[in-house]
Amino acid sequence: MTPEGISQLISRVALRDRNAFDALYSSTSAKLFGVCLRILNNRTEAEDALQDIYVKIWNKADRFAVADTSPISWLVAIARNHCIDVLRARKPASTDIDQASEIAEPSANPEQSAIATGESRRIYDCLGQLDQARASAVRGAYLNGDSYEELAARHSVPLNTMRTWLRRSLLKLKECLEA
Amino acid sequence: MSATHTHSTPPEDDDFVAAEYVLGVLSLAEKHNIERRIEQDVSFARLVARWQQQFDGMNAEFEPSIPPSDMKAHIDRRLFGTINPQPAPFFSNLVFWRTFAFASLILAAIGFGRDFLTNPSVSDKQLVASMESDGSIYQTLAVYNKASNQLKVSFVAGELPAEHSLELWLIAGKDAPASLGLIKSAQVTEFSVDSALAEKLKDGATLAISIEPVGGSPSKAPTGAVVAAGTVREI
Repeated sequence: MTPEGISQLISRVALRDRNAFDALYSSTSAKLFGVCLRILNNRTEAEDALQDIYVKIWNKADRFAVADTSPISWLVAIARNHCIDVLRARKPASTDIDQASEIAEPSANPEQSAIATGESRRIYDCLGQLDQARASAVRGAYLNGDSYEELAARHSVPLNTMRTWLRRSLLKLKECLEA
Repeated sequence: MSATHTHSTPPEDDDFVAAEYVLGVLSLAEKHNIERRIEQDVSFARLVARWQQQFDGMNAEFEPSIPPSDMKAHIDRRLFGTINPQPAPFFSNLVFWRTFAFASLILAAIGFGRDFLTNPSVSDKQLVASMESDGSIYQTLAVYNKASNQLKVSFVAGELPAEHSLELWLIAGKDAPASLGLIKSAQVTEFSVDSALAEKLKDGATLAISIEPVGGSPSKAPTGAVVAAGTVREI
């Protein structure tokens, strides 16, 4: 399905068109379930989350028109946001460190995943200019929903150090992305 | 909206907080604070949107995975499961009462009112829909009189856009939206509903308004943003 096709479906869902909702679900649920599985790393929770996410999509579809973004990015942002809420509610920061370190480290060489094309390449090019451990912290946060505490534990640095690290990385990223 | 835009550079700290929020590293309490701020602070919301766009490229790494086959049925049951709205929660619902009070006002204003206000059980049933939408400037009310087959849409908030048309749609059950025509006035527009659509204009159906090119949607379906929508209720 093209981005235009998905945009149209979302607009029709805002009009309470259930056929469009069916079609939107068919064409996007696998991607959003992938987001849930990756972030929650638990199948049952991911299934519950996916239900909540489509209920939100049905209820929030009218807000898509005002969001200046691609439709699939908008949907993924809703899914990520919801999963991060679930994750934070499930794991109080003080008790989740052991579990967090069991999650696989994101691959050190994201460019090998060969999925980044066009515009999306830019973020990887810029991440590639960061120190490897710092790039991996940024990716771990975005893709796995790692919190500051988890990142600090994984990289064996104090929390404040992690904050400073991430802040410097984000400043560098911004310079590169906006260059 | 453009009036609120400023060209001043936001404080760097805000930009960093926006990036942290998009990355998702914050605690639940911090995250919810930021979410409230996004709703209220347009320039901050813009910083968040910008970081989201920068990070969107990584979305390709979320590997698609087919969800269980009964998942959609669960979602539908949650969203549409109650075929007939239960009277108790419906009548105790604040939105209902707001709509009701508001409907009474408009009914009086556009001259449908008397019988309805003094005797709600008259056989001549009326249908109303309060149409609005989060973040939209439009708030409208539709009143349909079955006996006269007359549908009136009145504006409570919002103006007619100069360079677009506003089109009214009926969505009945799982049908595709059907056009009822264009909104012609920022006060009251009257629509005559053809008999096929009149059949479908009943309790539970949805009325919605979309922004379309001048003269209306070039196709049979809405093409622009939905600026107001509401469920039709019999009163």
